[in-house]
Amino acid sequence: LSKKVQAIYLWWHKPVIDRELLQSLPNLKVIANSGVGMDHLDLKLVASFGVKMANAPHAVSSSTADAGMALLLVSARRLVEVHHIAISSSMDYCEADILGVKVSGATLGIIGMGRIGYKIALRAKAFEMKILYHNRTRRKAQEEHAVGATYCEKIDSLLQQADFVMVVVSLTPQTRNLIGKRELELMKPTATLINISRGAVVDQEALVMALQTGVIGAAALDVTYPEPLPRDHPLLQLKNVIITPHLGIKTDKATYMITEEAVKNILAALSGLPMPSEVLPS
Amino acid sequence: MWYHKPVVNKELLQSLPNLRIVASSGVGIDHLDLNLLSSFGVKVSNTPFIVSTDTADLGMALMLASARRLVEGYEMAVSPDTEYFPADWLGAEISGATLGIVGMGTIGYKVAERAKAFEMKILYHNRSQRKKEEESAVGAVYCKKIDDLLQQSDFVLLSVNLTPQTHKLIGKRELELMKPTATLINISRGLVVDQDALVEALQNKVIKAAALDVTYPEPLPRDHPLLKLKNVIITPHIGSATKKTRRIMMEEMTGSIQAALAGLPIPHEVL
Repeated sequence: LSKKVQAIYLWWHKPVIDRELLQSLPNLKVIANSGVGMDHLDLKLVASFGVKMANAPHAVSSSTADAGMALLLVSARRLVEVHHIAISSSMDYCEADILGVKVSGATLGIIGMGRIGYKIALRAKAFEMKILYHNRTRRKAQEEHAVGATYCEKIDSLLQQADFVMVVVSLTPQTRNLIGKRELELMKPTATLINISRGAVVDQEALVMALQTGVIGAAALDVTYPEPLPRDHPLLQLKNVIITPHLGIKTDKATYMITEEAVKNILAALSGLPMPSEVLPS
Repeated sequence: MWYHKPVVNKELLQSLPNLRIVASSGVGIDHLDLNLLSSFGVKVSNTPFIVSTDTADLGMALMLASARRLVEGYEMAVSPDTEYFPADWLGAEISGATLGIVGMGTIGYKVAERAKAFEMKILYHNRSQRKKEEESAVGAVYCKKIDDLLQQSDFVLLSVNLTPQTHKLIGKRELELMKPTATLINISRGLVVDQDALVEALQNKVIKAAALDVTYPEPLPRDHPLLKLKNVIITPHIGSATKKTRRIMMEEMTGSIQAALAGLPIPHEVL
């Protein structure tokens, strides 16, 4: 059977692609990933076996941007908390205690203005939010103008001004622990950190400290390291944290589109044609 | 007046001979008998526009939270029993879906502006059609008959005010016209929906889910079926519940009261 395998469609990082597996599949030509992040793959190792790789960048953008905005809104308006109050068997609450933060007119800082980050900016603009962004490179003037986004060459200036900091970068050696103690301390004490990228982009221990000591106001995390977190992890206990189970692309439509993209890439690779979203080891 | 208290009835009005004004928080005045108050020479004010953005924001929050199963997802993420996240756990896509807005006033229109940015297709039903420029600015298509909106929408959002005409606007018939995959979002008033019909529709999968900021009464009795249904999100009427907005509401209310007591024209007077 192992000689027959020409393509792998990687669903949620399984199977684990290591040297053993690659050695056992001599006719493997392509690995197509279900999603855009490739941090779980050793790109150089796979390439050294002459195997091509592809991700699914287009299918994920809208769903992930929607999830990012959902986390922002749900966190700001304390939706999870007040839903539990609304359905709880006792109705002892004080109206003044369930006030949230006004989203419209607030400042959103987007770290990582790629496809997903830009779609977030488009959505946030409709909420009349002021948009700042930090990116490896600056976007074109028309693109900035279309969403009213202001470039922050230094991440510090974004962190100091934002009410909501949304992290939308890919995980690379440069972005590992991008948000650490220093960055959290630059943020406003009333600010919320939203992470829809990868758990490892944030220094999780520093985040726990920051949330416990009021260095920042709240966090909303669709991604953690690991997933799921150990059941006794402090992040699960904090009142000002929402965690979701990496649901950024978990919709019926996105799943379908991701699979379509993967199949297109696989068929192209097997026919020796150019692949629509090939990922090369950089 | 906050949260409809105290109840303003004939007894109360008779016992307060020098009452000049009732300043009500929020935009809805369905809880006030305007004719009765007028007969006692008491003026009424509300806080109409300041609540619009927060209420529209909450409508979007409820729709997103429901579609992407955020409450369930959170519970899974923090539950002591969770060992892994199942691969087949999926929500519904918002981008590209159809939103039907029932009641395209200030709040409804703000919802449309937001939904457009999420690449949603927007239908709306209103007493009167909006201007062409307003429609095209948000890509909204008018449905003169509410049935057309109900049959085509993936999400139905209610943002009407409560009047005798909108009382039980959404009943058994309307719920049955909706898609079985559709979600009902209510940010208007509990009484706009026939609540018993809604419970039945949710239990029998006539519609998929509901997200309600308003119910009748508020709060619901603790044994009410809506509190137990897995496919329902309920929030305790927090449409305008942000610190900034509540502060401005209070400022507006005191402004109206001061004007009334000074015999000056009253800002946000309800006639």
